[in-house]
Amino acid sequence: MGGELLILIGGSGSGKTTTLRMINRLVDPDDGSVLINGTDCKTVNEIALRKNIGYVIQQIGLFPHMTVRENIGLVPTIEGWSRDQVDERVRSLLTLVHLPPELYMDRYPKELSGGQQQRIGLARALVMDPPLLLMDEPFGALDPLLRQKLQDEFIGIKQNIGKTIVFVTHDINEAFRLGDRIAIMHEGRIVQVGTPRDLILHPADSMVSDLVGSDSVFRHLETLSVSDLSRPLAESSIYPHDALVHEVIRGMKQSGHSIAVVEGGHIPFGVVRLLDLALMTATDVPVSDAATAVLPLDGSDPVLPALQRIREEGCFAGLQMMASRPVALFVPDEVMERIIPGKKPA
Amino acid sequence: MIEEITAVWIHYNLTNRTIEHLVIFSTALILAVICGITTGLLLYQRRRLAPPAFLTLNTVQTFPDIALLVLLIPIAGIGTHPTIIACVLYSILPIARNTYTGLASASPELLETGRAMGLSDPEILSLIRFPLAFPLIAGGIRIAIVLTMGIVTLGGIFGAGGLGAPLQTGINLIRPDIIFVAGIWVGILAVVLDGAAGGIESMLKRRFGSW
Repeated sequence: MGGELLILIGGSGSGKTTTLRMINRLVDPDDGSVLINGTDCKTVNEIALRKNIGYVIQQIGLFPHMTVRENIGLVPTIEGWSRDQVDERVRSLLTLVHLPPELYMDRYPKELSGGQQQRIGLARALVMDPPLLLMDEPFGALDPLLRQKLQDEFIGIKQNIGKTIVFVTHDINEAFRLGDRIAIMHEGRIVQVGTPRDLILHPADSMVSDLVGSDSVFRHLETLSVSDLSRPLAESSIYPHDALVHEVIRGMKQSGHSIAVVEGGHIPFGVVRLLDLALMTATDVPVSDAATAVLPLDGSDPVLPALQRIREEGCFAGLQMMASRPVALFVPDEVMERIIPGKKPA
Repeated sequence: MIEEITAVWIHYNLTNRTIEHLVIFSTALILAVICGITTGLLLYQRRRLAPPAFLTLNTVQTFPDIALLVLLIPIAGIGTHPTIIACVLYSILPIARNTYTGLASASPELLETGRAMGLSDPEILSLIRFPLAFPLIAGGIRIAIVLTMGIVTLGGIFGAGGLGAPLQTGINLIRPDIIFVAGIWVGILAVVLDGAAGGIESMLKRRFGSW
């Protein structure tokens, strides 16, 4: 997929770095082939191939004897760009990575902090405007605060440059933050590829579920949306607003629902709990009298803000809508049961 | 005191002797640098030859310099040429060894980065390996400077001219004043040249050194 960021993640020796290095032919595969847009890498001149693939590594690898300008401008200079062209390119890249060009162009790498060096490393990888970028634990050597800052910046830069990126990490949180898709590797094989949500909700095996922590879904609330945690609604548990309370009680008992949706009346949709209805003394009144408000939600709404809004509006639950019809119930109590480890919904 | 020094200086024409000395010295050093770096580079490209080659150069190094000059008489006679040859033979080892070590010890991730950026092998050698080896090569040249200075002076005994000639005269005539003036002067020159080389070396280290 163009412009996608694919994460390769796995333990030490799982082959993620080797996979990365096979793409720009630093390692040649013993068997099989690496295809880039349908072309086998082996058929392309390796020098030309590498000039069109950006490469960023954890050790950064800035050349200590060259200034920032010379480091970034190395390949363009070899390619015969004029000094002015190189300077202009270096300036625009430094601006992209949030370093003022006037201040940094003529410095040597040892005069820069680790974070600044890694930004220069990224700028250098982008200098020939390669369509593909390989990154091998680029933020691995930075302290946690700086790492998060650079990840945030990187997310912004990534959206600006729209490149396909293959990104190696062993940090699952980094993978979830940055990855469009995540490939989990083990002993040289890809065990599962999918979006963060796929991996959390449908891990292929116990190795994957251990790695992504599927058992503790609460860790992933930021990744999940309403539809991941809502409960589908049967059409039979939707009642018109003028249905009488005792009819609804009978209906709910027959179908075994503890919560029903009431349609129409003074509010478009409401919910009633069987427990509340059973406690009512007058059972020949319209059920809409007993209904409480629900918050309409979209299936793609993120979980945390949805929970917060339900609480703020004083609603009992959220109702996931699709084409103006209720399709699922989003009940905070049930959500809590699902996301707290050890408690599975019945 | 000053008058005596001036008298010796003028009588034995030490200004011209100094120029002579420095010309022989520079010629020998330039040749040694060219041969040394070339040897280091060739050995780096043919690693298997490196151990025997360095063994040979080490053996040359163990020869006393005066013996080497005598051994060169049948081949190169006496005078300037054998002196320069001896200087080069002695100086190749430190320069070649440091060049070899510098080229071979460039950090692997820098080389890998260079490769991944799409640099060809000759580009990696000239743009990365060599510059990174500069400080070490300079260190080798500095050792060669000290060696060369001593051998050029010794060459004066074998008719090479330079400041070794007045020293030889002083020894023959048992004239401590000549030995004193010429000896101290050679010493000062050596210290100044070594100091300058040291300055250049540390400048290169700052500029190209690792961090």
